[in-house]
Amino acid sequence: MSGVADDTAVVVDQVSKKFRLFHERNQTLKSAVMRRRRIVADDFWAVRNVSFEVPQGETFGLIGRNGSSKSTLLKTLARIYVPDEGRVVMNGRVSSMLEVGSGFHPELSGRENIFLNGSILGLTRKQVTARFDEIVDFSGVETFIDQPVKNYSSGMYVRLGVAVAVHTDPDILIVDEILSVGDGAFIEKSRKKFLEFTGQGRTIILVSHSLPQVREMCHQVAWLDGGRLRAVGPTDEVVAAYGASIEAESS
Amino acid sequence: MAASYARELIATRELLLNLTMREVKGQYRRTALGQLWSIINPLATMLVYTLVFAFIFRAEPPPGDPSGLDLYPLWLMCGLLPWMYVTRVITGGVASITNNAGLITKVYFPRMHLPLSVALSTGITFGVELGVLTIALWIFGGFPLPWLPLVVQAMGVLAMFATGIAMLLAILNVHFRDTQHFVSILLPMWMFLTPIIYPISLVEDAAARAGEWILQVYQLNPMLHIVEVFRALLYDNRLPGAVESLAAIGSASVVFAVGYLVFSRHERRLAELL
Ligand SMILES: Nc1ncnc2c1ncn2[C@@H]1O[C@H](COP(=O)(O)OP(=O)(O)OP(=O)(O)O)[C@@H](O)[C@H]1O
Ligand SMILES: [Mg+2]
Repeated sequence: MSGVADDTAVVVDQVSKKFRLFHERNQTLKSAVMRRRRIVADDFWAVRNVSFEVPQGETFGLIGRNGSSKSTLLKTLARIYVPDEGRVVMNGRVSSMLEVGSGFHPELSGRENIFLNGSILGLTRKQVTARFDEIVDFSGVETFIDQPVKNYSSGMYVRLGVAVAVHTDPDILIVDEILSVGDGAFIEKSRKKFLEFTGQGRTIILVSHSLPQVREMCHQVAWLDGGRLRAVGPTDEVVAAYGASIEAESS
Repeated sequence: MAASYARELIATRELLLNLTMREVKGQYRRTALGQLWSIINPLATMLVYTLVFAFIFRAEPPPGDPSGLDLYPLWLMCGLLPWMYVTRVITGGVASITNNAGLITKVYFPRMHLPLSVALSTGITFGVELGVLTIALWIFGGFPLPWLPLVVQAMGVLAMFATGIAMLLAILNVHFRDTQHFVSILLPMWMFLTPIIYPISLVEDAAARAGEWILQVYQLNPMLHIVEVFRALLYDNRLPGAVESLAAIGSASVVFAVGYLVFSRHERRLAELL
């Protein structure tokens, strides 16, 4: 990629993303016919002109209030959404954990779901087989591995999903708020795994509402406010500014 | 663009297999009869249609030539099983995007694997059904075995046809959720406009009385030709006619190409519409 330094993992260049907002139920033929007569859709710019770069081997945090488009931006990075303006460059294999266990089939066992989810995240059957024991070990659900996953507790569900995702060997890992569901021991385990990741030169982009967690884990942070970039830079500065703005608002 | 999408599909083919297994395994979980249901279903339909159309309406399809078979239920199944495949792929495929919203909005993967996995998993059921039918045809005096390689090719043509329609409608269904309801109304109509439960000679008679254009319009239906191909191979044990074969292959290719192009063009924006 020209103009991108070798040690830059992610480039977000003036990215904007809009959604069409419909005022009524839009997905019926009736409203399609109506649409000829009057405009029923507005453009809503969820992400507006956001730019930043993430160096390889760093953990990058996204913070901001509810509805500030953190998840939308992550989905644009993960190729789930296409940016309407600007461009995203991801140097390396991307794996995303936007919602853990998406792709789990409730009636299938944990074992079958590991294979299914592994292949959704881009692993071959052979690769999953090779890592199977590690995945089960990381998830800590050994005794239930042959039970249908609908009998799992929500924590177990999350653990199994995280376990698969962290064993997919990505160069760039995208994580949206999933650590908030696991218990303390599991969060600690995941944190160690993330440290190991960045130690190996992999890059992590994560969203979290827990500021202590962000302080502890991130090298740099971007603060989103209503879809625009309010600040980006070293963790301490940005988190402090964000914390101050929340405090100012709540008092 | 269409070619690079094809490369991506091939690179992720293992996902297609896993999604297919998910469909196959998930379908009959926790049912006592399991996969047997996929045999019981067509058998029950066969009984009903045989009762109504062979005994009450007295439909009399011509005997198999050269096989000599003359049994309405077997004649029926040679057309009904391909038709049931098409129905299942279209109904399953139309909803395959909207039903997997949770997956599509959370992970990126080539979305075409979803309708394709419906076509494949349904194909497994179809294969089992055809296997049972082949044995029955054999027991009752037909000689279907040498024709099986051609039957497999005809299954491929049928799969392309059904998948093409399913992909097209799956995209439409994301924009207008009415689509799946329309489909469930239109499919039975389409079935009655295809010589599946009654022989085409009935329509020929009607056309002779009321005007040849009826037959000409009637024969525009691609499914008619595909069904004729299956009947020629399985029931008559002969090579299908050139017109039927070309019409079947041609329409299946066009439908699949259109479905593929429309789907690959729209798939990047599916997530935000769900
Ligand atoms: N598919 C969509 N169609 C229309 N609007 C959407 C869609 N997805 C998100 N939005 C809107 O975009 C804005 C940002 O949503 P997003 O989920 O990205 O916020 P967030 O920062 O992740 O919030 P939270 O902290 O609550 O997770 C919201 O106003 C939301 O209503
Ligand atoms: Mg969010």
